[in-house]
Amino acid sequence: MPLLEIKNLTLDLAFQGATARVVEDVSLQIDSGETVCLVGESGCGKSLTALSIARLVPTPPARYAGGQILVGGQDVLGMSRAELRRLRGRVVSYVFQEPTASLNPVFRVGSQIKESLRLHRPEAATDLEVSRLLKVVGISAPESRMRAYPHELSGGMQQRVMIAMALASQPSLLVADEPTTALDVTVQAQIFDLLRNLKQEFRMSLFLITHNLGVVRDLADRVAVMYAGQIVEHGPADAVLRKPRHPYTKALVNSVPKLGSSEQSLKVIPGQVPRLGAFPQGCRFHPRCGRVRPNCSVETPGLDEAQPNHQVRCPYWIRDAAGFDE
Amino acid sequence: MSLLEVCNLKVRFQADRRRLRRSSGCVRAVDDVSFAIEPGETLGLVGESGCGKTSLARAVIRLIEPASGSVWFEGEELTRLDAAALRSRRRKFQMIFQDPYTTLDPLMTAGEAIGEALDVHQLCQGEEDRRRQIEVLLSEVGLDPEHARRYPHEFSGGQRQRIGIARALAVRPKLVVCDEPVSALDVSVQAQIINLLRELQRSLGIAYLFITHDLAVVEHISQRILVMYLGRVMEAGEAKLICRSPKHPYTQALLSAVPVLDPDSKRQRIILPGEPPSPIDPPSGCPFHPRCPLAEARCREQTPALREIGAGHQVACHLVAPPPMG
Repeated sequence: MPLLEIKNLTLDLAFQGATARVVEDVSLQIDSGETVCLVGESGCGKSLTALSIARLVPTPPARYAGGQILVGGQDVLGMSRAELRRLRGRVVSYVFQEPTASLNPVFRVGSQIKESLRLHRPEAATDLEVSRLLKVVGISAPESRMRAYPHELSGGMQQRVMIAMALASQPSLLVADEPTTALDVTVQAQIFDLLRNLKQEFRMSLFLITHNLGVVRDLADRVAVMYAGQIVEHGPADAVLRKPRHPYTKALVNSVPKLGSSEQSLKVIPGQVPRLGAFPQGCRFHPRCGRVRPNCSVETPGLDEAQPNHQVRCPYWIRDAAGFDE
Repeated sequence: MSLLEVCNLKVRFQADRRRLRRSSGCVRAVDDVSFAIEPGETLGLVGESGCGKTSLARAVIRLIEPASGSVWFEGEELTRLDAAALRSRRRKFQMIFQDPYTTLDPLMTAGEAIGEALDVHQLCQGEEDRRRQIEVLLSEVGLDPEHARRYPHEFSGGQRQRIGIARALAVRPKLVVCDEPVSALDVSVQAQIINLLRELQRSLGIAYLFITHDLAVVEHISQRILVMYLGRVMEAGEAKLICRSPKHPYTQALLSAVPVLDPDSKRQRIILPGEPPSPIDPPSGCPFHPRCPLAEARCREQTPALREIGAGHQVACHLVAPPPMG
């Protein structure tokens, strides 16, 4: 049984007087010890999908219109408050983008980590355990650092504290939503190195939300690419990056400037990311797609198996597979 | 003659003395930086947050006053001009900012925002000419002339950045300072803006001082690169050369920290310990020595000078050997 299984998740959001379907028919699974990345641009529904795992999306304004989220075989969407409390932190922990916004500015970081311990492992709510956790996430001089307030720590340190808090409950799944977007490149490399080591040490699964394809290559076993609320491609990270099948994935890979390449201008995806509630008819990528066919604006493509474990939401790569590799 | 020449520029900020008793109460944001930009050239300015790249850029166009050093623009010393003379020269150098959401006045239409720049420098003959110029500028940056009547909230992030670029171009500058112009944008939109900046450079012959923390972007767009750390230049030279064979240990670590998409890349990753120290209390000797994997005793005592090690390639490191004499 996989640790996490999202089946056909569909989420509506009441938005400016109307209802928009912001996540549609998303299916994903994460086995224990696995790292799965969810990639997409802003507004594609990747964060809402991630938050749904512990049902952290407020309902209303959101409404789950269908699907299931099974964590260890139990459906999160049908859980009572008490069951959710047991799930959050203990099974699924989160690390968010902006550590400054996630930490409470008026409490010392040590007491915030201890709070997490008191909730999930009361027997371990000691200074000793707090300092051990800080050491695990690579903070030197933990005894004095635990007495610091968040503003006394740098961004990278704050994110390490957030990771320590998430680890305090010994979760089986760590969900990290753009954990390094607010950090410098050299610090970003440190945090990813830390996550990779912790994952091995604690045999956790990692669900990483990112817009950076380089990060996918570095960390992920599998990757799902989202566009306008839907998964458009899903498969082993190496296969997807090496040979992207969906025109959006392909365009995304091509639009990233690569170090050491001599190409003159970047291949761009024309147009803008569609706005919530204004997703195009048919294939949602068709207005920006370089390989658009007349049918694309009419027929809604399904997510079909291209190869075992590799799904693509575009019917044309099959008929035209050779033409896709220019 | 270079378009812009910066000699030994220093920027100091007065720190609050009460809170910083230990230090001299002075932040050396930019410490003794010299460089030149030729007409139509792009110089990339790279570094992590707090390294002084934004302060340097602002001091160059005198948005903040440098503490010492001189800036020459087209052979004229900007640092000696009075306010009125400076304003008239400002037409020749403009700035594009990072966050397109905060740089446009929400109560001004795109046309008014661009028109304001024209008015300040009295560049239109009559209302008809003004309207025509705004239309030309909008189409130059890939927007529709119809967009002139819309307000910022009606545009996406990428479109707003295009308006910011149109406003900078309105006065036909020779130098545009771009401060992280694509960092706030989605990946697919980033590529559009980078290509647009390159096309404008080709057609209008503008020079860019391009600030970014993204090395792949800077390699892609610049002819030459300046790598800064804690207010000082660590390495300077041709972009391709620096990105392919960086000489300074900091540049090497910075480059190795960039997550790379290529599945076949076999790079050795250098994970630096710690984070950039505070510029209020910089380390003695080489500012990079506390994080440098190669630091020796002399690195702690003597500040290395920026030395020429090859044609136009300068490095500030004791451990990088200069070319043999003669």
